[in-house]
Amino acid sequence: MDLLKPTRSGTVGIVFAVLGFVFLPILASGQWQQILTSATCFTLAASGVAFMYARLNMVSLGQVALMGVGGWVMLRMNHWLDLPFEVNLAVAGAVTMAFGWVLALPALRMRGLYLALITLMAAGGLEVIFSTFRFPNGGEGFWGVMPSVAAPFRRPVIAESDGAYLRYVIAVTLLGFLVIEAHRRMAPGRAWAMIRKSEAAALASGVNITYYKAWAFGLAGLLAGVAGGLLAGGLGLLDAATFRASESIMLFALAVVGGARLWLGVVIAGVLYRVLPALFNNWSLDADLTLVIFGAALLHALITAPDGLSGQIFGLFGKGRRS
Amino acid sequence: MSRVLPYVGFLALMVVAYVLLAAGKPIAVAGLFLVSGFAVGSLYALGGIGLVVLYRATGVLNLALGAMGALGVMVAWQLQQVGVPQWITWIAALAVAIALSLFYGRYIAPLLAWRDPVVKAVATLGFALIVLGVTAFAWEDDVRKFALPTDALAVRILGLRVTITRMIVIGAAFALVAGIWLYLERTRTGLQMRALANNRDISAMIGVRILRVESIAWIIAGAIAGFIGLMFGDLVRLEPVVITFMVIPSVAAAICGRLDNLGLVLIGGLSMGVVESLLTLSPLLKSVRPVAPYLIAAVVLLLMQRNTRLLFAKD
Amino acid sequence: MGRILTTLAVSAAALAAPHFARAESHGGAPMCGANTGEAASGEPIKVGGIFGNAAPGDFSSATDSAKAYFDCVNANGGIGGRPIEYLTENDQWNPELAAQAATKLIEDENVVAMVGNGSFVEMSVNAPRYAEAGMMAMASACAVSECFESSNIVSTNQGPLPSSVGAAMYAVEELGATNVACIGLAIPSVGNWSCGAVEEYMGSKGLSGSSVLLNPAAPDVNSGLLEAISNGADSILVNLPAGLGIAFLGVAQEQDLGEAYSWTSSTPLYDLSVPGALGEYWDGKLYVSAELTKLDGEGADNLNWKAVMDGYAAEDDPRDTFSQSGYLSAKFFVETLMEMDPATLDDRAAVTEAIKGITGKTSDLICGTYYVGDADRHMPNHAGIMVVVKDGGFEQVRDCFEYEGPYFEPLIETEKALGLR
Repeated sequence: MDLLKPTRSGTVGIVFAVLGFVFLPILASGQWQQILTSATCFTLAASGVAFMYARLNMVSLGQVALMGVGGWVMLRMNHWLDLPFEVNLAVAGAVTMAFGWVLALPALRMRGLYLALITLMAAGGLEVIFSTFRFPNGGEGFWGVMPSVAAPFRRPVIAESDGAYLRYVIAVTLLGFLVIEAHRRMAPGRAWAMIRKSEAAALASGVNITYYKAWAFGLAGLLAGVAGGLLAGGLGLLDAATFRASESIMLFALAVVGGARLWLGVVIAGVLYRVLPALFNNWSLDADLTLVIFGAALLHALITAPDGLSGQIFGLFGKGRRS
Repeated sequence: MSRVLPYVGFLALMVVAYVLLAAGKPIAVAGLFLVSGFAVGSLYALGGIGLVVLYRATGVLNLALGAMGALGVMVAWQLQQVGVPQWITWIAALAVAIALSLFYGRYIAPLLAWRDPVVKAVATLGFALIVLGVTAFAWEDDVRKFALPTDALAVRILGLRVTITRMIVIGAAFALVAGIWLYLERTRTGLQMRALANNRDISAMIGVRILRVESIAWIIAGAIAGFIGLMFGDLVRLEPVVITFMVIPSVAAAICGRLDNLGLVLIGGLSMGVVESLLTLSPLLKSVRPVAPYLIAAVVLLLMQRNTRLLFAKD
Repeated sequence: MGRILTTLAVSAAALAAPHFARAESHGGAPMCGANTGEAASGEPIKVGGIFGNAAPGDFSSATDSAKAYFDCVNANGGIGGRPIEYLTENDQWNPELAAQAATKLIEDENVVAMVGNGSFVEMSVNAPRYAEAGMMAMASACAVSECFESSNIVSTNQGPLPSSVGAAMYAVEELGATNVACIGLAIPSVGNWSCGAVEEYMGSKGLSGSSVLLNPAAPDVNSGLLEAISNGADSILVNLPAGLGIAFLGVAQEQDLGEAYSWTSSTPLYDLSVPGALGEYWDGKLYVSAELTKLDGEGADNLNWKAVMDGYAAEDDPRDTFSQSGYLSAKFFVETLMEMDPATLDDRAAVTEAIKGITGKTSDLICGTYYVGDADRHMPNHAGIMVVVKDGGFEQVRDCFEYEGPYFEPLIETEKALGLR
């Protein structure tokens, strides 16, 4: 497979991202710029869950908690040293990647439900840590929390305004998707495909299973960390409520609903996760009833669309072409 | 020997926690935390048992367990407000939870029967959100309290007053472990349930009526959910959200029993509560003590796979 | 001290002259704004409000009552003939939604100020935004430190810190407490902050205090109780949201500690449904610090608040402390607008300046004087009353008193500078 040759779906995806990059910040009001920034951040995080599920059949129920780790590091760096945004983001990604590896250690020999559960336990533990220590807001000491208003957050020099920041986040997310795609086309992708088919066969043909599984966890962690860092940049601060264990389960569920195999599925996951609740809120729908709608939509999609909504959408176009 | 080992492990964990955290303290103080830990642990254990019973029979890890119980106990509370005799309200709570559980088991679960266990578990989360949404919508946020007559009676254990309600929780956990074991070992449907848990396709081929057996499992699970709702509503808080998400530490307890062994779920849940409670005595760790259940579950998962080589099976 | 005396005098007058007060509110007909009885029809003035309502809590009663008051003002001549368009958003306890709501109101809708805000998360997220936009938020239901320690938010309610210190003072002065254990939430800007101030207060009196912090989601409140006991406390101060507070008192009842300790609580338990939920056991045992005056007070403003609620709010909108607080914020806001030059009503900077100029406002709903001023922190309300749980309701046991302790010293300096003392 040629590393640089775009697939049809990939071309559509890049065009989609470019259109979003150019037009969304122009068309969206201030509120919607923020909503779309959040949705894009979660899309990036969902891409990590989705590729693990689609490529390795591994389920992570701790992705949002890992975003929290990335966001924590991002805020910690921002309020500690006077480094540029990009450096902080890189550190946040790297630390979260290391976290992903630590999580991978016990998970390497596990599959299916047990693997999912160990990531859920990690998410549960992190939820307690976040709600106890909160996120740094410029205070003293290691935890860096103070009771008064948060110290200013430095956004990237080229993206100070909300509109520019949305563009920045879209660009980074596109980059994240390309990194995943590049992996798919190189050695790790082939190893993952083999492992997914049969671990025995992979082992027999000399694939280092431990190495490549850990690699996958690291990559998912990196994506979560960067997404968390970007989310921190959107608000300038973070709150523990965003990173509950139930949110991690939710993000995985939505990746399945969207369809983990395709980029569109991941985008749908991000949109469902952040745009839909915002819409409901705009329509002044009771927050409790939005839970009901969300739950029902989740069940409906899980039952009727095994390949996710993106599978159905692409299927539609596929049919249209043939007829 | 290897069957006894995990039990010994959990006992040892409690002893180590006691020695490390409470050794310097007078027994009058440490005893309070110990007994209180058992009281909390029994709640985790009860939730874990509810999860494992259903998982064994149907392969569904029911994350809606807490939500079903929450709706049940809210209905019971509402009935009490209009003066319905207490015992009827308790039955109503069980009935609500059973109805929800059976509905899901009969009409939704079969549609997902061939999906990954994880997807099945996540689907129950969807159901949990629906039930929670309806419950929170029907009962606007307000201060409520659900009490049982057994709250008033208590005995003193190591200086701590333990109400009869808490004794019921511990007693019920033990009784459930024994009762479910007897049911699975001694009855025909119990045998079929075990067969179903082992291999669904083969069970169907040899004539196990899957729908009927699974319905029974969902009914039992619903009854346990309703009971859990009543107990959590009384002992934890009468708040649907809190009761609904008690399911996450309950999963930790279920993991202690490898989603399979009810006895281990019981002792695992108890040890989680004891460690969490004793951690209060550590100035350094007390603020993060709710991490204890997750940490213990993670260690259990690690140990479980210590001796297994790479698993080649699909699951 | 002079302020206390005036407030005591005012409240005494209100108590002594209920008929006069009733007469002033036209025997039940609400009095709002210019009180012309004619609907305002001019171009609306946009005002925002953000509340939190989703499981597990509903803080919307302040924006509800503010809306009722604004509706009443609009039906009574508005602000010089111009109605107030009150736009409210729900943050659903989600920090991102809170930020989005603020952006919508500030940038897209261009509101001139925020009034009646009530939330756990909105203030921490949006405080820097309000400062950046140069606008004021006259909040009504604050619960976190960021709300009180920021330049552009001023809240009518007290929040957990003053109300806890008030409870501790009562425990020390009336219940003979020498060692108070403050049970708070393990959230730095809530529990650590408010229980920390209680410890400081106890320290300043040469007594001892300790903080016991509970994780909001943890099912286990037992060990918190045991920790308080093992700290050697003789008085326990429950500084928790109502649901958790009830659960905590439940386990205390289980241990039958009602007599062995003295029990106080901050305001969240001053809610009419609390005594019923607590049951007879706590009758006469639990003393609660109330941040505004009694819900069934006979003062003119309290009666007018009820009349406004009856006339303009939905029947099931709660009539609680936050509702009083929202009413009062809205009332002070309207009074401020009416004193402004009508030409500058749409100018955010002018409105902000007018709000910052508020000083010396009094009401029978609050013990102290309400003021804003140009400062890094705002906490005008730091005096309150004490009530006790009695016969399925509450009974006032102490009239307006001002809270003491190191935390309030800078505030008192500010008040002196403003000439309020």
